[in-house]
Amino acid sequence: MEEVDRILIHSLRQAGTDIQEDVQSVKQFTSELIVQAVVRCVRVIDPALGSGLSPMLPPGMSARFRVGMSLAQACQDLGYKGEIGYQTFLYSNEPEIRSLLMFLVEKLPRESAEVSDQPAGKSALLQKAIAAQIKAQLALPWLPPSCRLPLQRKTQSPGPCHSFHAQPLSLPYSLKVPAKKQSKEVKDYWREYLLPVTSQPSQAASVPASLLENHVSELSAAQEWENEWNNQGLLSRLTPEDYRSRKRMRMQKRIEEQLRAAAQPRPDSHNATRSTSDLSELLNSFAGATTGGDVLTKGTRFTHSEKFTFTQEPEKAAQQMAAAASALPSSHQSEEDLKVQQEAEISALQQQLQQLSVQMEEVGGDIRQLTVSIHQVSDELKQREVLNLEQENTVMVKKQTINLLPDAENNLIKLQSLVEASSKRVVHLATQWEKHRAPLIDEHRRLKELCSNREMESSRKLSEIKELHDRIRQCAEEAKKKESLYKQLITEYETLPKDVCRSAYTMRILEIVGNIKKQKEEITKILSDTKELQKEINSLTGKLDRTFAVTDELVFKDAKKDESVRKSYKYLAALHENCSQLIQTIEDTGSIMREIRDLEEQIETENGKKTVSNLEKILEDYKAIRQENSALAAKIREG
Amino acid sequence: MLKLLDKISPTECPKLLHRVVDGLCGRNQPKRLEYGETWSLLEWGELISSLTYFFRVAVGRKCSDQEIKELLGDLESAHSGAVLQCVHARQEEIRQALVDRTYRICSTQLDDFNWQLKLALSSDKLSSLNTPLLNLSLDLTEDGIQKAVNIEMNKEELNTLITTLEAANKVVLQMK
Repeated sequence: MEEVDRILIHSLRQAGTDIQEDVQSVKQFTSELIVQAVVRCVRVIDPALGSGLSPMLPPGMSARFRVGMSLAQACQDLGYKGEIGYQTFLYSNEPEIRSLLMFLVEKLPRESAEVSDQPAGKSALLQKAIAAQIKAQLALPWLPPSCRLPLQRKTQSPGPCHSFHAQPLSLPYSLKVPAKKQSKEVKDYWREYLLPVTSQPSQAASVPASLLENHVSELSAAQEWENEWNNQGLLSRLTPEDYRSRKRMRMQKRIEEQLRAAAQPRPDSHNATRSTSDLSELLNSFAGATTGGDVLTKGTRFTHSEKFTFTQEPEKAAQQMAAAASALPSSHQSEEDLKVQQEAEISALQQQLQQLSVQMEEVGGDIRQLTVSIHQVSDELKQREVLNLEQENTVMVKKQTINLLPDAENNLIKLQSLVEASSKRVVHLATQWEKHRAPLIDEHRRLKELCSNREMESSRKLSEIKELHDRIRQCAEEAKKKESLYKQLITEYETLPKDVCRSAYTMRILEIVGNIKKQKEEITKILSDTKELQKEINSLTGKLDRTFAVTDELVFKDAKKDESVRKSYKYLAALHENCSQLIQTIEDTGSIMREIRDLEEQIETENGKKTVSNLEKILEDYKAIRQENSALAAKIREG
Repeated sequence: MLKLLDKISPTECPKLLHRVVDGLCGRNQPKRLEYGETWSLLEWGELISSLTYFFRVAVGRKCSDQEIKELLGDLESAHSGAVLQCVHARQEEIRQALVDRTYRICSTQLDDFNWQLKLALSSDKLSSLNTPLLNLSLDLTEDGIQKAVNIEMNKEELNTLITTLEAANKVVLQMK
């Protein structure tokens, strides 16, 4: 029972009951302690049920009685099957209390076992960590800034106030070109002039930011490339370089289209020849455009038109301004005059501007018309040339026939023989061609088949590769998840209370199980012993009966003849009777002994129930209640 | 103006050039204090701006060695060699910087961004709030003037922002 009591007390302490150190067994529990333990347990098991119960036993007797009743009701609501009432709590006896407490402790929820299976308790962990941190920081006293140690400076200073500023860094490696293949100049630069990365940014505070930024941009670029390559690149069956160059071409074309669409809403036909060089020139003009005007010297149509519309106007305006300014008598002019003049100037300039733009549109229209007509004319020219060639051919043929006309017969024969020879040659060539063709066609078919086979295989391998990629990703994710779970479990394990000695418990349990086994064996042994004994008794009684019957018959036969034998028969009957009486008595003694033992046991249990003390208590409580009642009655009478 | 480069010794020259390129790529410009005796303030400004301009043109137009030499004009051969070497060594970096400049075709550009995740444990009315908040700070350049923008968002607002950004990213992907 001590083991059970220790486990019970430990669980009750965990549930929040305030049990003193010197309380070692349930026997030592007072009524107050019992009530507190039961209320705490009920609160943990069912908060709604337990919230109405107070863990303290009130001083008033009737109030105590009510607390006992409600507690008993609560325990029955939880499903306690045993006998329970207010007396269980107020006039406790050990076995009842033990069974009640065991029931309650078994009902306590085992939260740790359920939580440890899920890795999802991250927010709870975080909040726990935050709470611990805040508690630790609150425990530290505040210090004036000059007295702070590094540890306190970390927690008590207002935190880093510089913002995140990244600057591009120059690093002695490149993703695109391996280090060995770099040119000599680059290597010289790395060796001689490249600053260490910590002194490259203008402020020391932006070193980590710059490094992070650099790393992240490279990483994301690599990831994006990998993603794209896996999704689209592999399917295109190109080498990475080819894929890249093709993509670059596509992008360039798109940008070109967009730019052209933006620059000239009505694209002209003659522009197509120049468009390929457009983009590079445009980029060139972007590169240095902000600082120097002369970069624009070799521009595209786009830049030209831009220049034409945007730069030329101000220039002209400036010229006119200068002219106007020189024409002005400079100093003594009132402000109003100046204003009026300026307005006039502005209107004149605007007019000029409009004129110019109209002119420009006209000129543009002319140009367009002219280009269209040029195109038409060049087309016509081409057609004419083609026609010309055809006609020249026909003229040549006709000339030759006219030349052949004088010697017509001979020429005819010659022609016929020529025709025959050529037809023969054609037939010959055709047969030869057939000869060559058949194997070639076969070869072609074979190669085609091979090709399709290869293609199938490659597509199969591609799908395999894709599958593998997926699997790799899945495995990595799983591994990560498992690792985090492992870490969490380890931290949880470390935070777990170490006072529960699991191995000792299991050892004890095993021991108890062993003991029980042994006892069971003994019991079966005793049982079989008893059975054997019973059998022996039965057989002996049977034997006795039979012997008695035989003896009785024999003696009875002789008794008729002989007097002394009759006497002995009487003795025999008396003996039998006495013996059976004796056996009866022995049996009775056995049963009485058993009854005595039962009664003794009952007495013991009754003694264990502290009946006398409980009775005294009940009497006292009864007196207290009567007193309370009379006091209340007196109050009522007074009131 | 590149002629001013002749005032410095050829051994010192590459260091200066590399620092100028650093400035071009968005890091520290060379400090005038170190070269105060060689050039006056006016000359220094001219030299630095013309060097920067030269590097931009040389890399931006993909000039050949011959063209670079023509651009350099009548510079001493040792110096022009140093400039040529510098251009070769830093070509990729300068090109990247120019590409970055070309990106900036909008009036407002994002230079940097930073974020902090905060957990509001409680407020003046609720004892346990447990609401995560995101503090997003953006460093913008608007028409050449730098300014900082700070935004605090709760979960829904952040989700809206993210979906908007994802939609924008989708458009960019479609362009590819």
